[in-house]
Amino acid sequence: MSKEYVTVIGLEVHAELNTQSKIYCSCKNSFGAEVNTQCCPVCMGMPGTLPTLNEQVVASAVKMGYALNCTINPVSKQDRKNYFYPDLPKAYQISQFDIPLCENGYVDIWVDGKEKRIGVTRIHIEEDAGKLIHDNSFAGSLVDFNRCGVPLIEIVSEPDLRSSKEAKAYLDTIKSIVQYIDVSDAKMQEGSIRCDINVSVMEKGSDTFGTRVEMKNVNTFSGAVRAIEYEAARQIAILEQGGTIEQETRRWDDQKGQNFLLRSKEDAHDYRYFPEPDLQTIVLEESYLSQIKDSIPELPNKKFVRYLTDYDLPEDDASLLVASVEKSTFFETMVAFGDVKPKSISNWILGDISRIMNETGKALADLEIDAKGLDALLLMIDENKISNSAGKTVFEEMLKTKASPEEIVKEKGLLQISNSDAL
Amino acid sequence: MELYQLTAWELFEKMAAKECSAEEITQSVLRRIDQKEGDVQAYLTLNKEASLAQARAVDQKRASNEALSPLAGIPIGIKDNICTKGVKTTCASKILSEFVPPYNATVMDKLDATDCVYLGKLNMDEFAMGSSTENSFFQKTHNPHNIKYVPGGSSGGSAAAVSAGEAVLALGSDTGGSIRQPSAYCGTVGLKPTYGTVSRYGLVAFASSLDQIGPIGRSVKDVALLYSAICGKDEKDTTSIRREYPDFAKGIVPSVKGMTIGLSDEYFGEGVSDEVKTAVMKAVDALKEQGANVVSVSLPSTDQTLAAYYIIASAEASSNLARFDGVKYGYRTKEYTTLEEMYEKTRSEGFGDEVKRRIMLGTYVLSSGYYDAYYKKAKFTQKMIQDAFQTAFGCCDLILTPTAPDTAFQIGENIHDQVKMYMNDILTVTVNIAGLPALSVPCGFDKKGLPIGLQMIGPKFSEGVLFNAAACYEELLGGFSAFSALK
Amino acid sequence: MEMDLKRLAKLSRLRFTEEEEKKFQGQMEQIVKMVEKLPDLDASGPLIDPNSPMEMRKDVAEKKFNRDELLKNAPQVQAGCVVVPKVVEE
Repeated sequence: MSKEYVTVIGLEVHAELNTQSKIYCSCKNSFGAEVNTQCCPVCMGMPGTLPTLNEQVVASAVKMGYALNCTINPVSKQDRKNYFYPDLPKAYQISQFDIPLCENGYVDIWVDGKEKRIGVTRIHIEEDAGKLIHDNSFAGSLVDFNRCGVPLIEIVSEPDLRSSKEAKAYLDTIKSIVQYIDVSDAKMQEGSIRCDINVSVMEKGSDTFGTRVEMKNVNTFSGAVRAIEYEAARQIAILEQGGTIEQETRRWDDQKGQNFLLRSKEDAHDYRYFPEPDLQTIVLEESYLSQIKDSIPELPNKKFVRYLTDYDLPEDDASLLVASVEKSTFFETMVAFGDVKPKSISNWILGDISRIMNETGKALADLEIDAKGLDALLLMIDENKISNSAGKTVFEEMLKTKASPEEIVKEKGLLQISNSDAL
Repeated sequence: MELYQLTAWELFEKMAAKECSAEEITQSVLRRIDQKEGDVQAYLTLNKEASLAQARAVDQKRASNEALSPLAGIPIGIKDNICTKGVKTTCASKILSEFVPPYNATVMDKLDATDCVYLGKLNMDEFAMGSSTENSFFQKTHNPHNIKYVPGGSSGGSAAAVSAGEAVLALGSDTGGSIRQPSAYCGTVGLKPTYGTVSRYGLVAFASSLDQIGPIGRSVKDVALLYSAICGKDEKDTTSIRREYPDFAKGIVPSVKGMTIGLSDEYFGEGVSDEVKTAVMKAVDALKEQGANVVSVSLPSTDQTLAAYYIIASAEASSNLARFDGVKYGYRTKEYTTLEEMYEKTRSEGFGDEVKRRIMLGTYVLSSGYYDAYYKKAKFTQKMIQDAFQTAFGCCDLILTPTAPDTAFQIGENIHDQVKMYMNDILTVTVNIAGLPALSVPCGFDKKGLPIGLQMIGPKFSEGVLFNAAACYEELLGGFSAFSALK
Repeated sequence: MEMDLKRLAKLSRLRFTEEEEKKFQGQMEQIVKMVEKLPDLDASGPLIDPNSPMEMRKDVAEKKFNRDELLKNAPQVQAGCVVVPKVVEE
């Protein structure tokens, strides 16, 4: 008779920041350039070179800290994490060890029709490493240093997640937030958002966590779901056979759908962290911090819940609207007129407007929709003055001619007979 | 009197008065190099043609009445751990034996603006680790006063070249005494500036929180001149300090009247030779006669300071030198199959023993389980030492100590006893640990005819005060050039 | 004295012959004895100096170096990249 288990998950999300220049030198921070053309002596770790910290990196990390309800450390420092690898030119990564920029936050995620609060242990800044290129036509591996020094924030969660579904919701929420506050493009295909996953299992009802295993090389959120499910099943199988879980680091292979031992606890790196002597203390003034704090907009996870509760929208509508800053902004402009049901507005935005945006490849703003005019149009439909299909015709005409809906309706004779005397 | 025997300031005046040309000066120094270099072996790279071309360009500028810096046309040597664009920078290590940086150290950019003449790159202990310049991969530099003796280190090439007249001025670097101790051994004047006053950008790092580039010359004014040229805030080095930097050479007032000199028993202890003690006390007496007051100050034990120094310096070094892995630049072993093999063989073949010891010590004190007992405790000790100096400077303007416990030792004498070698730094490391400025100036000879060094330590940013006191003493002795090996 | 020379060598990416190992073990023990003379003081609390705030750099991108000059010192170059022995990516 097999027991029931609970999966305990903690995530370390790395997001590349969308700054102009790299974290410690003035090289351009861009993706996809020809190999080794976005580097300089500093990010290539040449002898005698020194780092200088990009102020925007700190600003973006602090912004994310406030977005995730963290305490910001007004005095923090950077540390060296020492290890040898060909993609790490200095043989140490400049990161933050014991005093990160942000600590003790949380984020609310939406799972199974309710909110769940997930603790955020810390957010720190660090530099990305370069890339190794493997190709069978080469005898060795090639090193491209372009990505060296690309600024990263690492967001570490508490082990508060209990299923792959929650993990996915958490990752989607983090992604939407970094994009909403415009600190990262979070493009998975470019590797600009990635995560390491800590997984352990415990018997249902237990309050003691099992031994955790760290999984690296998880490059997509759907991969994260597969990796978590695989690892939880692997651990449960070991426990069921009377075995014990070893604290180790495993590498996820998404193609094979399996993970492999990377290093055991005994082989764990000794990173020899110590304060980076080439950089001084990061000291942030209160006025600077409050300025950043005040710049945080309403975040997508909060907006989503508000759309459900205040406007009674279905989850699908709310999440589609929230996923786009311009659609949700337009939605709220329309709702504010107070004339039409929010659900009708949502239908129009997610239906015809989105379709026209797709067909024309235009952003919402570029369609130059007259919100007041659209409101009048929707009101006519609501009041059955015109049919829904006539409304579509009127709307297309509005976009073309910029005429008011009343004019178009009159001109085209679209009034429904039953109400003709009303106009 | 040959031109190579003159100080930079004397040469500047001669050039200004059109009594000699920059080309003649460089030629004189190059002839001196031809004559002495076989014995002294101070240079790793010599740029004879390029230096003459630079000198001729200065003469042309002067002929067309361009405003020139006092350093224009002055032949200068550069320690080989300072990056020079397009010129080999080896750190006297096999691992960088063919390294040609595509960038300049900030101090080189600053010197470019003075139109000084670059003679070449000077020998040193590998990666500035050592006190005798015997740890160079390429050659041993000899003390020009007696070639059986070491010139000190790690800036041994810089001090020997200046002492021998093979350069008028030189840049060295000082992490634990590497400018001052060789200056003492060779009879030159050397300044370890306040930490943060000279940019470290382009100085190949040994210990980032302690390293500082500084000048070596044959007079106080020359040293002040070169210091003025290289100091200042640099955007590329966040540890460099933004403040007003005066013209130090112009500002010198050779006087100690009303100054209070502090003396600490701790710096005249057991290991310090009687001859050195006597010479230093004689200097103190001379300054007292010039109107200085002398008080006794209490400073932390030199043993504790030395321990903290070796822990912090080695910890940083182990990390700073990790980048030499055969991947991006420098030496790579010839035979390997795996990455790990390539790393280990490259580093084992590329580094000398002393560098390996420091890397191992640094790795040890930072490693898991030892960090708190060594590295962290050393950093707290550093804070305690800094506070102690601050207290001491509450009741004196400068502190006088011997620069080194003894005069130069013979080549090979200490090479097998590391701890004895490290004791050479016992009077100088404090200054780096506390981030203070200090000058070493000559104060006599021992009975073997080797120079003795006097160290003047001041509070942060007190270089001007040190120059005044040193210049006063220099006048009393009739010039420090007499302690160089110019004959 | 509990210095594990083999482990330290491994961490430092250095390798020693047995003879060298013996020599270094003795020397390192002497050196460690010297650095153990630290004073007995309270070393708790973080290592941070709030009195030296850092000036940060403005976020402006510049290009100053080309690939050829940056790779000129590299021991082995192919297709604009530095070449290393084949490694499995972490």
